[in-house]
Amino acid sequence: MDFHFGEKEKKLRAEIRQFVKENIPPGQVPYFEEHDDQEWAFSMSIAKKLAQKGWLTISWPKEYGGMGASELERMVYLEEVGYWGIPGWMMGIGGIGWVGPSLMLFGSEELKKKHLPLIASGEPDGVWCTGYSEPDAGSDFANLQTRAERIGEEYVINGQKVWVSAAHRARWCWLAARTDVSAPKKHAGISILIVDMKSKGVAVRPIINFYGFHLFNEIFFNDVRIPVANLVGVENQGWRQLMQSLGFERSYSTIVVYGESKRLLDELVQYAKETGAIRRPYIRQKLADVAVEIETLKVLAYETVWKMSKGERITWEPSRDKAFRDMINDQLSRIGTEIIGAFAQVDPLETDTKWSRLRGRAERLYYRWTGYASAAGTTDNQRNIIGQFALQLPKAY
Amino acid sequence: MVDFGFSKDQRLIRKSVREFLEKECPKDRVRELKTDEKGYDPRVWEKMVDLGFLGLVISEDHGGMGGDYLELMIFMEELGRSLFPSPYFATAVLCALPIDRFGSNEQKQLILPAIADGQIWTLAVLEASADYEAAGIELAVTREGDSYSLSGTKLFVPYARAAEKLLVIGRTRADGHAEEGITVFMVDAVSPGITVNSIPTAARDQRCEVRFDNVRAEVTDILGQPNRGWEIIEYLLQAATVLKCAEMSGGTQAVLEMTRRYAADRIQFGKPIGSLQAIQHKLANTFIGVEGLKNLVYEAAWHISIDRPIKELVSMAKVKANTVYQQTCIDGITIHGAIGFTEEMNVGLYHLRTKAMEFELGGSEFHRERIIKELEQQVPLFLQP
Repeated sequence: MDFHFGEKEKKLRAEIRQFVKENIPPGQVPYFEEHDDQEWAFSMSIAKKLAQKGWLTISWPKEYGGMGASELERMVYLEEVGYWGIPGWMMGIGGIGWVGPSLMLFGSEELKKKHLPLIASGEPDGVWCTGYSEPDAGSDFANLQTRAERIGEEYVINGQKVWVSAAHRARWCWLAARTDVSAPKKHAGISILIVDMKSKGVAVRPIINFYGFHLFNEIFFNDVRIPVANLVGVENQGWRQLMQSLGFERSYSTIVVYGESKRLLDELVQYAKETGAIRRPYIRQKLADVAVEIETLKVLAYETVWKMSKGERITWEPSRDKAFRDMINDQLSRIGTEIIGAFAQVDPLETDTKWSRLRGRAERLYYRWTGYASAAGTTDNQRNIIGQFALQLPKAY
Repeated sequence: MVDFGFSKDQRLIRKSVREFLEKECPKDRVRELKTDEKGYDPRVWEKMVDLGFLGLVISEDHGGMGGDYLELMIFMEELGRSLFPSPYFATAVLCALPIDRFGSNEQKQLILPAIADGQIWTLAVLEASADYEAAGIELAVTREGDSYSLSGTKLFVPYARAAEKLLVIGRTRADGHAEEGITVFMVDAVSPGITVNSIPTAARDQRCEVRFDNVRAEVTDILGQPNRGWEIIEYLLQAATVLKCAEMSGGTQAVLEMTRRYAADRIQFGKPIGSLQAIQHKLANTFIGVEGLKNLVYEAAWHISIDRPIKELVSMAKVKANTVYQQTCIDGITIHGAIGFTEEMNVGLYHLRTKAMEFELGGSEFHRERIIKELEQQVPLFLQP
């Protein structure tokens, strides 16, 4: 048992903090890049710099433009990303997290050669979105209906995807589509395809959320033609490939959320000290309570990454961490907005008005987390997974 | 390098302790001991002595096993799982640890081998204020020539009837700061002037009122420095608290497991109730709590094991333990339904201990205050140069 980091991780952490000093404004707040053109440009410039450091795709093998870093080094990097709000680390949704790793596992040489360098070097053509959910395939994701019909050397795609984050910024779409409509089970007959977002027949329609933020989109596919070479892995084996990549996403995003939560907690304690709110017993107790949960989130997320680093099979662990982080976001944003008080009613998209406090961090989390809780599986869906795989109870859905 | 794993030796200890407790302390034994005058089984205590459990972390020079803090943590986790009623925590944790740390060489040479050999000790700290604030220590200590005289009343002293020796926290100076003027005495339990009354606790787990009426102690009975006894309490509030948390963590693991099994076995509407989302999600939340507590305790314990305790981490573990233990028991009983409410079901045995566990070594409000006190003193990372 050991809770200290090794020299390699400590050195990496110090380098990232130096990088932050030189490149990231002190008040950088995360989660604006997809919404705002200027922030997007800034985030892409940071992505380029992260790529030069080798951090953007830190855990990818060197031959594909990564650093070949360990799971723990990747964890340290993402923790810092969260704490300092380093933008650009995702470049859309999925390119770094699962497109690259999946291509390495299942992709053809041609696809690997084409896409991996674009992602690893932080190019605009390395920005991805991920087309999974559909109007009738949310939590019941295997129910997806978007059709990809093979005609000669092409797939012809028709259908609709929804809740696609960053589709309006992406050059490529990582698409789950049905290639065999006659398959007996809905999990069979699904394939992963790569779609150029500039293809004829692709239409992106923004979905603006309730506080005016543009992250999600619908994508409509109308006779979109893509070369057969854009099939990833084996036709109709997409479900298995997908399951393998979803777990990775959840475990690592929890580390980022831990970093963000710790930052907001630090900000709130500091703010409460400055305003004098820290003297109030109620505020003290509430802050301490959320500090307990944030520390707990840390050890859980660390434990999952530690298991991965030992090559253990991960099943329910990311779900445990994801469900827990959703609960913490709820708790943290409530006490956060309570400490900010009436100023928490300022539009969360306005960071710099004279009435904004902490650049709107607390109220933005307050409005934001409920939506982000749905990403990569709702909180309750995570509980289903825990029930089934960790507690070995019969399927409840 | 971050590592949540246990060594081979540590795993072996867990295995042997679990097997021992499962064999020696089935739940019916826990029920029987509720009405036992001593509240523990001397026969099993002797076996524990033979296996070296009492001297787990006492050095070999002092007749112990020379194990480390993490092994003791594992022991407590297993103890909490089994609910084994005994003066183990009082003796091996609340008394042996501070004697080992603060005792003179002479004291250690005399006492630690006795403890390893099964001598029962307990700690008398709480008084009418029933909290761990120094101001609550009012037991009056007056100097009479070369000796001291102790008068006052201590509450919730574990296993005071079984104990041969007491660590008594007294006030030697009433003026000045509350934390100054506190002295710790080692007193014979049968000294003239000591009266012990059992407090009828819910778990009947041998918590006593101990009254001191001009009880005599000598200078050589002082543990640590005169008037600086609060250091010893502060030490216990870290080293013993995390072990209490480990005990609680073990308890939550056991309750989760028995509740899970019940939910998987109990058939209603033609299927196990554990297949219903209302039940399954409650269990999933319990699982998240239990897993979080377990790992948080490991983290806090590890820092103590390398002798670099982190004060707020200890208090975080206790707040978490208090919350999760109670919630796990309540959810455990309600998931069992009406049968969970009966004497026959084991889940109630754990629930009966929630309040004793919660307030031993500090309730949540107390520990939250300790956490925020630490946090507000730190310069946040984002403001560091």
